[in-house]
Amino acid sequence: MQLLSSTTLTLAYTPFVDPIDAHRAWYWLLIPLALGIAVVYKAMRVIDLKNYPKQVIVMTAQVVGAMVMLGIGSFVLIQHIVPRILPPN
Amino acid sequence: MTSSENSPVLNSNSGSSQGSFRPLPLLAAVVFPGLGHVLAGEVKRGIYIAAGVLGLFFGGMFIGGIDVVDSREDRVWFFGQALVGPLAFGVDWAHQNKFKVTDPATKALRSANPDEGRDAKGFAVQGGKPPNEKSIGKVNELGTLFATIAGMLNLIVILDAGFPSRRSASKSAGAQEPPKSS
Repeated sequence: MQLLSSTTLTLAYTPFVDPIDAHRAWYWLLIPLALGIAVVYKAMRVIDLKNYPKQVIVMTAQVVGAMVMLGIGSFVLIQHIVPRILPPN
Repeated sequence: MTSSENSPVLNSNSGSSQGSFRPLPLLAAVVFPGLGHVLAGEVKRGIYIAAGVLGLFFGGMFIGGIDVVDSREDRVWFFGQALVGPLAFGVDWAHQNKFKVTDPATKALRSANPDEGRDAKGFAVQGGKPPNEKSIGKVNELGTLFATIAGMLNLIVILDAGFPSRRSASKSAGAQEPPKSS
């Protein structure tokens, strides 16, 4: 009975058909997204493919870093600066 | 320069002006991501491009399920996803014809509810297991975004395969310059 229920639970999820449960950790998906963009973009732009892996990693880090900084900047702006600028209700 | 990137067969850029047009690699790039660059003699680039575009496309499907590719419910997003090529149309056809169910009352095509199954004719039946789980929230958004970005990047790839870029011009310029002596 235990084996049947664990098999049923395993078969309930089909990869690429059903979604994964990433609702609590969705922000980590930024990393594979940036990596995928860097892989394609640098494959077209790099002149010498010897430098390709390093350039992909650098661009991925740049994109992730920029998005993190934008997030921090947006948080500071909305949570701290705007309440000081706008008149109280 | 590697010999694989200097194929004289389909690379009309060798010895010609910068703005030459490569119709066969362009068409091949439309058919399958990266195939255009492979046919143009840039095999490694083609493989990297295929890995990236397909990784993003199937990565989106892995995150959000097959629900993220939907030409009926998410038409605007599908315009971007369609740029991946016939593969995106094939996935959408499978989604519409093998996973969605026809509502018995309204005859409309929709995703199955969690307590519904799909019979042999494609109609929704109560009490079965749905063919797929519809994704919602951030997971659906990100899965859709992954697949759409794959298509948009493939558009740039198609243009790069068909129209030689600054990369080719820079390579030619580098080959013509004499080596600097120390």
